[in-house]
Amino acid sequence: MARGPLADTGRAAAVALDERAVATGRRIPFRGGRDDSRFWIPVFLLPFLVLYVGFTVWPLVATIVYSLFDWDGVQPLTQFIGVDNYTRILGDPLFWSAFRNTLLFAVLNTVIKLPLTLLVAVLLTRRWLLFKRFFRTVFFLPIILPVALSGLIFTYLLNPSNGALNTFLLEHGLLRQPIDLLGHDNTALLAIVLISVWQIFGQYMLYWMAALTQVPEELYEAADLDGANERQKMFHVTLPLIRPVAVIITLLALVNALHVFGIIVTLTAGGPGRATYVVSYFIYSEAFQNAPFRYGYASAAALIFAVLAFVFVSGQGLLARRAERLRQHYGV
Amino acid sequence: MVSLKALATAAAAALCVVGCGSGQSSATPSQAPGAPVTLKIQDYSVEQTDFHKQVAAEYHRLNPNVTIEWTSIAQVQYNQSLPLAFSSRQAPDVFYWTNFGPNAMNSLLASGWIQPWTTDATAAADWEKRWPSGSFLNGITLKGGKVYGFPWQDTHYWGPGYMYMNKAVFQQAGLDVSKPPATWSQLSNACKAIKAKTKAYCIAAPMKDTDFQRLWYALAAGRMSDTFFDYKNGRFSLDDPRLVDTFNYIEGLNKNGYLAPGVNDKDFSRQQFAAGQAGIYMDGPWMVSVWAQLGFHSDGYAVAAHPMPDDTPRGALSQRYSQYAYWLSSQSTHQAEAFKFMRWATNPTGFFVQNFLKNSFATLAFADNKKYLTDPAWKSVFRIADTRAFRVLYPEPLLKCPGLADSKAFTMASTTRPNGEWEVMVQNLVNNRDMTADARVLVNMRQAAFETQLQKEQASGLKVSKDCYTFAGWNYDQDFNPANYPKS
Repeated sequence: MARGPLADTGRAAAVALDERAVATGRRIPFRGGRDDSRFWIPVFLLPFLVLYVGFTVWPLVATIVYSLFDWDGVQPLTQFIGVDNYTRILGDPLFWSAFRNTLLFAVLNTVIKLPLTLLVAVLLTRRWLLFKRFFRTVFFLPIILPVALSGLIFTYLLNPSNGALNTFLLEHGLLRQPIDLLGHDNTALLAIVLISVWQIFGQYMLYWMAALTQVPEELYEAADLDGANERQKMFHVTLPLIRPVAVIITLLALVNALHVFGIIVTLTAGGPGRATYVVSYFIYSEAFQNAPFRYGYASAAALIFAVLAFVFVSGQGLLARRAERLRQHYGV
Repeated sequence: MVSLKALATAAAAALCVVGCGSGQSSATPSQAPGAPVTLKIQDYSVEQTDFHKQVAAEYHRLNPNVTIEWTSIAQVQYNQSLPLAFSSRQAPDVFYWTNFGPNAMNSLLASGWIQPWTTDATAAADWEKRWPSGSFLNGITLKGGKVYGFPWQDTHYWGPGYMYMNKAVFQQAGLDVSKPPATWSQLSNACKAIKAKTKAYCIAAPMKDTDFQRLWYALAAGRMSDTFFDYKNGRFSLDDPRLVDTFNYIEGLNKNGYLAPGVNDKDFSRQQFAAGQAGIYMDGPWMVSVWAQLGFHSDGYAVAAHPMPDDTPRGALSQRYSQYAYWLSSQSTHQAEAFKFMRWATNPTGFFVQNFLKNSFATLAFADNKKYLTDPAWKSVFRIADTRAFRVLYPEPLLKCPGLADSKAFTMASTTRPNGEWEVMVQNLVNNRDMTADARVLVNMRQAAFETQLQKEQASGLKVSKDCYTFAGWNYDQDFNPANYPKS
């Protein structure tokens, strides 16, 4: 506690009171002459608490409750069925197919986008590169486009009947038959992964650029003096130093990819057949697509999926803490 | 300080009120006669938006105290928002709902969504005369002597199964639209000619989501049925050899490159056809107005019946008790005004009917459609549908077993994975696989859910059984005789 000359005996008494309180372990009153903290702390917390309870806690609790009922989202909650929804979901082949697709999408998406965006970020932070702003804008543009518009663009580009890609390849003799990337089990999900990477490219490029700017310039100068080439600087200076941030970016990328939805709706609606069903689309179709809605069932599916996301987020927390220690170790 | 505290408390309270929601109901109390009334109507006929504005203006001119607010939104959003509107007590006065077909009224009553159009039995009886006799049926549109539903679209002309042919493409291929392919082999031959002699694809066949139904219903009805339930044997039927045979025929068309490639939605396929990139498109008579909206008129295309299989067995399209479109919300406090408006709208020679049909939006169950729909394409539609056994009256289990009004078995079985049939077919079609195994899995799942629930309901005292869904003496290409329902 800071000590200074006190102007009046009242304040001196207050300090003495504080010292006694500290000594006895009792609460120190607010320094305003009157203890208003009991009023003001809740007042300032209230707006946040209302919003947090209304938009986070309540929906979560409600989802848990709904998942225990056979509920269409409209009728009163009367048909309690216990864990029946969970049992049915665990035996639902479509849920597991969607689950598998979601994981596959998340892993493929992350594995493709992170190295590519890192490479471009490294290039865009080179001193010798001209028109950096232009390139940054070009790579960032797709993220500004609404997902629905991206879906429309690629529906047109990839359409085997008269899409621009097929037309170009056919007219230049590079194909004899049109290819239908979104129309086959084997290629539809991969095509969606690539389109998704295209759309999110700019965001992860910026993440990497922010990480790269944290690397002290002196280290590169020292490496130059030691005669290191670009590859050596990359693998022995840049990558080790951005590794802590890379862990966070990777986990962020995985968690975000697990929530894939809009691009599926606009491009394939889960098709062809069920080839590109993902968990979010599964939940949406059960909850809202066809009456009678199966809100309880969808809630159970959402909770099972939330558990998975929680595992990822928890993993992110553990690894982020380790990354923070590494960051402090490297002094960046 | 006190005032600051009071201000903060008030602000927090206001925030809490906003955050928690006021729960205000949209329903307004009953009005005195002549008092201003706003009737809210909702549907998903987006293409009719301008027409609805005309209707609202005309009705307001005739009834200055009544304002019609008719809102049309896309079907997907509508199906999601309407239940939420009911649960938040903000439902419109009149709403459009055709889900669950003949069981719509019972389902809506069970949900507490509807009320009768009128409590005045005399007024209702007079109004019912606008429809052919037998249009109002107990358990389907009537309950306890009160009218809850009424037929909107007619079910004779309205429905899938029409084949549209692009005249320019046919001409380039050396084909004559006045001699349309009438059999599956003739369709294959026409496709062969189109593929060989034009740059167009033969058939624009949408496959995205549930859009494969456009082609499927037309061809499957020729072999057996445009439903996925076998009413002769009381079982789900995607694995029926006749439907598998239909699928195999379509798969053959696809393998030969006769279907436009891509898992496209219906809008894309329609544009392909209208732009001359495909020679054939199969769908319902609503296409006449859709083509017109695309700037493609009946001088550019011809309409024919769907091709039939070369051999037997054969089937027909289904005519069912299913076009009860507009319902009066239980949350409406304007029953009398709503019924008055609907009486006005269903006047067979009135403003609504004349302008509705002038726009070719649909054929109506209470109007002389042939009088007002004079486009050559409509004349073809009438001729085709008037042909014997093009569309036949299907048996209705609800009329055999009134107890089904309280049964959830069929709805539960058919709405679990509701798009399952389309998903199975499209996934196997695009991968050139036999669908039998997947179809059997789906059918077994539906049938098990169906029979298990029927048994539960039977055990609880409901007079229902699989027999209610079985009409062994009826055939898929003949009208079911209503006299064969048991007398109640």
